Parts: sequence; C-alpha cells; structure tokens
Amino acid sequence: MIEQFIEGFGLALRVDTFVMMGLGLFGGMLVGALPGFTTLMAMAILLPISFFLDPIVGIPFLLGIYKGGIFGGSIPAILVSMPGTGAAVATSIDGYKLTQKGKSRKALDMALFSSVLGDMSSDIFTMMMIFPIAYLVMQFGPPELFAVLLMSLVIIAATSGSNPMRALIMMLLGIWLSFIGTDPLGGVERFTFGLFELKSGIPLLPMLIGVFAIPEVAGVVMRNEKARHLAGLMGERLTWAEFKKTLRTICRSTVIGTGIGTIPGLGQVVAAMMGYSAAKNASDHPETFGEGELEGVAAAEAANNAVNGPTMVPLLTLGIPGDNVTAILLGAFVAQGLRPGPQLFDEQGATVFAILIAMVFANLMFLAIGYLSIPFFSRLVTIKVSVLIPLVIMFAFAGAYVFRSDSVDLLMLVGFGIFGIVARAAKFDVMPMVMGFILGEPMEYAFGQTVAMANGDLAGFFLGDRQGALAVLLVIPVIGFLLWRRMRKTVAH
Amino acid sequence: MLKKTIKMTSSVMVAAGMALGLSSGIAQAEFPEKPITMVIPLGAGGSHDLNARVVTSIIPSYINQAMIVRLTPGAGGQKGTQEVANAAADGYTLLFTHNYIDMLQQHVETLPYDPGADFKPVARINYAPIAVVVNADSPYQTFEELIAASKENPGGIQMAHSGNWGALFVPAAQVMKALDVSWNLVPYQGGGPAMQALLSGDADVTMGFPSALAPQLAAGKVRVLATAGAERIYDDVPTMAEVGVEGDVGFMHRVVLTPSDTPDEVVEQLTAAFKSLADDKTFVRMMGRLGENVDILDGPTYEAMRKEQSVAYKDLVEKLTSQ
Repeated sequence: MIEQFIEGFGLALRVDTFVMMGLGLFGGMLVGALPGFTTLMAMAILLPISFFLDPIVGIPFLLGIYKGGIFGGSIPAILVSMPGTGAAVATSIDGYKLTQKGKSRKALDMALFSSVLGDMSSDIFTMMMIFPIAYLVMQFGPPELFAVLLMSLVIIAATSGSNPMRALIMMLLGIWLSFIGTDPLGGVERFTFGLFELKSGIPLLPMLIGVFAIPEVAGVVMRNEKARHLAGLMGERLTWAEFKKTLRTICRSTVIGTGIGTIPGLGQVVAAMMGYSAAKNASDHPETFGEGELEGVAAAEAANNAVNGPTMVPLLTLGIPGDNVTAILLGAFVAQGLRPGPQLFDEQGATVFAILIAMVFANLMFLAIGYLSIPFFSRLVTIKVSVLIPLVIMFAFAGAYVFRSDSVDLLMLVGFGIFGIVARAAKFDVMPMVMGFILGEPMEYAFGQTVAMANGDLAGFFLGDRQGALAVLLVIPVIGFLLWRRMRKTVAH
Repeated sequence: MLKKTIKMTSSVMVAAGMALGLSSGIAQAEFPEKPITMVIPLGAGGSHDLNARVVTSIIPSYINQAMIVRLTPGAGGQKGTQEVANAAADGYTLLFTHNYIDMLQQHVETLPYDPGADFKPVARINYAPIAVVVNADSPYQTFEELIAASKENPGGIQMAHSGNWGALFVPAAQVMKALDVSWNLVPYQGGGPAMQALLSGDADVTMGFPSALAPQLAAGKVRVLATAGAERIYDDVPTMAEVGVEGDVGFMHRVVLTPSDTPDEVVEQLTAAFKSLADDKTFVRMMGRLGENVDILDGPTYEAMRKEQSVAYKDLVEKLTSQ
C-alpha cells in the first residue's frame, strides 16, 4: 500500500496532468456559474476527451470539472440570488444578503476558501480511510436512508426561521410538489391532471430560479430603488481575521459533509443544509444567520464540497457508482482499461493513488484559479441596474429553458416566480419548501423500498433487522423539539 | 494514431461546441448538412449514456458531421421518446433507446405515441445478456436451489431490480412466469444500487450485465447462477433455456430509431455509417473496455425482432398483471 502510494505520488507530478486539471477547474467553474448548465452536463459532454488522454491526465481533468462546477454554482447564488443547483441553495441564504450589503467579494472569497478546505480535508481523509469508509457505506440501506432524510427535514424545519409552524407548512407543500408526476415506485400518475407535461414531475431548476431570483428582481423593479439591492459595490476581499473566525464552522461542516458523503443517496443538498443548520445552532448569535453572516456561507460551502471525497469510495472499492457524477467517472475509468472494483487497488494501486493525489493537488490549483477569477466575477454586480436587471431576467429564462430544453419550464418559472413574490409578501420563507421538494422524492422512494423489503410486516422488520434505523426514527421528535425550543428562545431575545 | 486522435478530439470539441449552442458554419449540399442529435430517454451516466459517448466520438469520421447526445430522462423514458416522435422526420433527430422502453411499455400503459407506427429502426448497436446473480455467501449454489427455496417460501426471496418494467425487472418477471415462483421485487434507482443491495445482504438475488459484474465476479464477491442467450457465457453456468426459462429472455438491445416518415435514402446512409463502426478498431477497442459487444444489425433485420418482442411482451404483461 505505502509503496504504491509513493509511486502514485511520483506519477501524479506531471505537467500535463496539472494543465488539464486547471482547464477542467476553470471550465467547470464557468459552466457551474451559468444557470441551467449543470456540472453533470459538462462532464458528460467532455467525457470523450478523457478517452484519448492518459488515465492520469484524463480522469483528473474530469474531477477538475466536477470540483469547479460545484463552486461555480455558488457564484450566481451569491451575486444575484440565483442558485443553479440544489447544493447552492444554502449558500444563497447569507451569500446574497452579503452582496446586498456590498460585500460580494468577501462572500465569494469565503465560499472559495471554505470549499477548498472542506474538499481538501475530505479528500485526504478519504484517501487514508478508504477501506473503513467502504465498510460503512455497506451499512446503509433504504430504511437507514429514509430515517436520515426524515431527520434532516425535521432539523431544517426546526432551525430554518423564527416560525417553525410556517416552515413546516412550506415544507409539506414542497413534499407535495415532489409527489407530482409519475410515482417512482409503482409508475402511477399522481396530481398530473392528465397533463403529459407534468408526467415527469416538476423540474428543479425553474423552481429554484423562480422562488429565489424572480422575487429579488421584482422587488427592485417595483420599489424602483436606486439599485442598492441588486447592483452595488463588490467591496473588500476577505481578511485573515474574518477567515480565522470561521475556522471552527468550516471544521464542523467538513465533518458533517464527509459523514453525509458516506451515506449513499444523500448528497450535497442535505450536507449544505445540515452544515448550515449546525452552524446556526452552535452560534451564540443565530439571529444574524440569514442576514448576511459570513459563517453561513462558510458552513454551507465547506459541507457541500466535503461530500465529494467519500462519494468516490463505492466507485473505487466496489466499482459501483453512487450517483450520476461517479457513473460518468466510472465510464472514464473503464474506457481507460481500468476497471474499478475490489481488485483495482491490487492491480493498479499506483495509478489509483496517483489520481487521488492529483485530486488533492486540484484543490490547491482551485484555490489559485478561484482567487484570481473572483474579481472578474464580482465585477458583475457593479453593472448599472438598468443593464443588470434585463441580464438577470435573460439568464433566469435561458437557464430554466436549457436545463431540460422544454418550453413548459418557462411557464413553471413564471408560476414559481409569482409564488415566490406572494410568499415573500406573506412572510413565508421558501427555503423549507425547496428542501421538502428536493428531499421529498428520495425520501418517498426509500420509504417505498423499506415497505417492499419488509414484505408486509413493517414493525417486525424495523424491530428485528433494522434497529439502527429505528433508533434514528425514535430520536427525531426529541431532536426536533429541542432544536425548536432553542431557536425560539434565541430568536425571541 | 496520433493524427487520428487529434482528429477525433477535435470532432469531440466541435460536438461539445455545438451542444453548447455554438455553430460551426460548416455547410454541405447534401445530408447531413448539420449536426445530428441523438436523444437518449434516460439519465446521465447510465450505460446508454456511456455507449453513446463512444459512438458519437467515433461516428463523425463516417458521416462528416458531429453527432450530439441529448439526454432527456423522465416519465420512465417516455419524455425523450415523445420528443423524437414529434421531431422532424429528416434524419437529424435520432432516438437511442432499448427494447423494454421501445416495445414493452405500450402494453403497460397508454402512451402519447405509438412506438410500432411512429418509429423505424436505423440500427441495433449491440445487446447485453443478463445474468442471475447471488452473493458469494448465499446458500444457493445453483439456479435450481434458488428456485426450490423460492417455491418453499413464496415472496420470501428478495430480488433487487432497477425499476418497474426495466432491464432487470423484466427477466425476473419472465423467470417467475416460466417457473411459477414469486419473488419479492424491491426497486432500486439503477443497476448499481441494486448490486450494492446484494453485496450488503439486503437482497438475496439480483440481475446484472456481465460488463458491470466483472469486478465483483473477479473478486469472488458474487456467484452467477444462470445467463441469458443460446450460448453459455461462463463455462460452468447454465443458460436460461437450460434451466427451463425459454424464449427471448434477458436481452437488452441498444437500438437507434428514427421517426417512421424519414426518407429511406437518409436512413440507409445513417445505417451505413453505424455499420462502419463495426470495422473501426478504436470503436471496437473502446466498447470492449466498457465490457460491451459490437453486433450491429440493420433496420429491417431489427424490425422483424421488434415485432416478435411486442407480441411476447404483451403476453408477459397480461400474465403478470391479471393475477
């Protein structure tokens, strides 16, 4: 193992590896920053390029796109309140507020540093603990996933705002919206009103842009403000003192993100929200969260990037991709004649370590590329408001359309935009709704699988075979109640 | 070789540019005078996606145009299929699908298109035969032992599949129908998670394609009990027919379809391009690495198979849903 690691280290130090990785990072960042284009699309389109490169060049290139893309999604989330992915929703809560205060550059710097730190720590941890993590992954089945998802939703509802009742109503609405379409287990149509357009469900992106970005634009236009809110200063860079204050939060979120990454099927959205909720709960000033708190940005971004390391584990140790991104990586490995699986380490250990080591170095390059390009991105908010507003509207519509190339999505965007404006006026936070929508489907699916596995005896199944999942289910009400009481106290003061 | 690589990489680049909405300004007088879009009604990263990436990175040399992959997942494959059914019948929009979406779904529910009448095949690219798999620790050493246990304990055997009427579900249903047993079918979101359920002990049996099984099999983590097809794939493992499951069972055909009004000369030109892939060394090598075979059939040959599939699937669905 050790000699393979050392050999891999030597293999990874190649100029062309670093050049392609840098290209991937920059390309991923650009694609991630364009609403509607997903990291997944960029990886799929550029996958064939890796076929014709050396494995130690081609695979790090794809990993670069992946890492850059996740960070890229936080750029529009911070600058114009337009999260392009579910993973960037938590970032936009405080990120956009910071932009409104003329601190967009600080927010972007914070996002970059915490992303890189979270990613790097989790990559190193993954490399050292790859086999224990592989064992852990196998302990999670549908019942455990269902329990953890339910717990996440309860935590989000309890900590999201000052009014858990309203948060709960919005969350249930989101869960209901996730039911629309074809039932993932039985294939029965639900709530589609017979419309084929609704058969494949409500698309995520038109909803995200609709409820987060459109109300901001509408607010500026209706109040006819002098651009204070949308266009403004880009402000100073992040200072060392500010960064140091958030280190504890970054560490906490990295641990949370890495833990969530080991559970197959949870992913970045949950990690970002859990990291955010935990930071808010641990803070002695939770009322500043949601009002432009740097720690909020750090908490979300460190957590969603820390997911990346562990998600590689099932792929490398079992040859089983856990999500779409790792499925594309599997294709890249296999096309190179490297078959991920139990024997890959024995046969090609040095090459695998070289790729993992390149992944760690990618984070350092990411830091440099990000730091140099942030001024260029943050200049966006200094554009005159008369130019910026049409630009944002154009990107909103283009992004909603490009996501699935389906014109129905434009109607959805307008619908959710109006909904977002009304919800804001009525002081209902849309965030729990979006979370309910994103997590509703996997939760329902996991529940359906659990019912199928139990084969008619749900109670017996949990008591007999799945005590871990049962334990989680039983503590959920306690956690929810405690958090809610705590939040109510602190917000009331 | 290097020259070829550069040419291919540049064609990939062109395709990538096109996919991102840039135009190349290349124009020719006859078909194809612009890039061809290949719609996949399934999600990113699946086996169709990967197969298509190899096809589209090689085929430009034979059609002198880029071929772009467009993934349109949703509604169990219906969204992408409908998109092509409604597309212009000019050969610029193709559908890359498989036989279960193509010919089985129509018997399960009402579709917004008629697959038999709205499409005609351009080519079958390859096929994948399914294998019945258990965990290496499983008490069932042979297929017969598994079936005997299933008969003793109806519904007690957990079978992990990748979605209703999908590539793992249908062969399981065919086994259940042929041998009169009933398994507890548990859905997972793809073949990968289903295999993981088998490895972690959540499931007793699953199905898998040899290409995806290779690493688990080599590591001695799983045991194959039967495989689809007329020939044995593994020397000591019987075929489905040998264990009493007759007929066209457990084959996933990856096929390229086009709207049925597409002019014949255009279809022939496309078919010829797909057929040339079989002699392309790079293509065959890459498909080999993916663990896929290359067995290209032309449209009329596959059309005859489609007709047979439709009849067989209709019968299967009626038997299974009438209980």
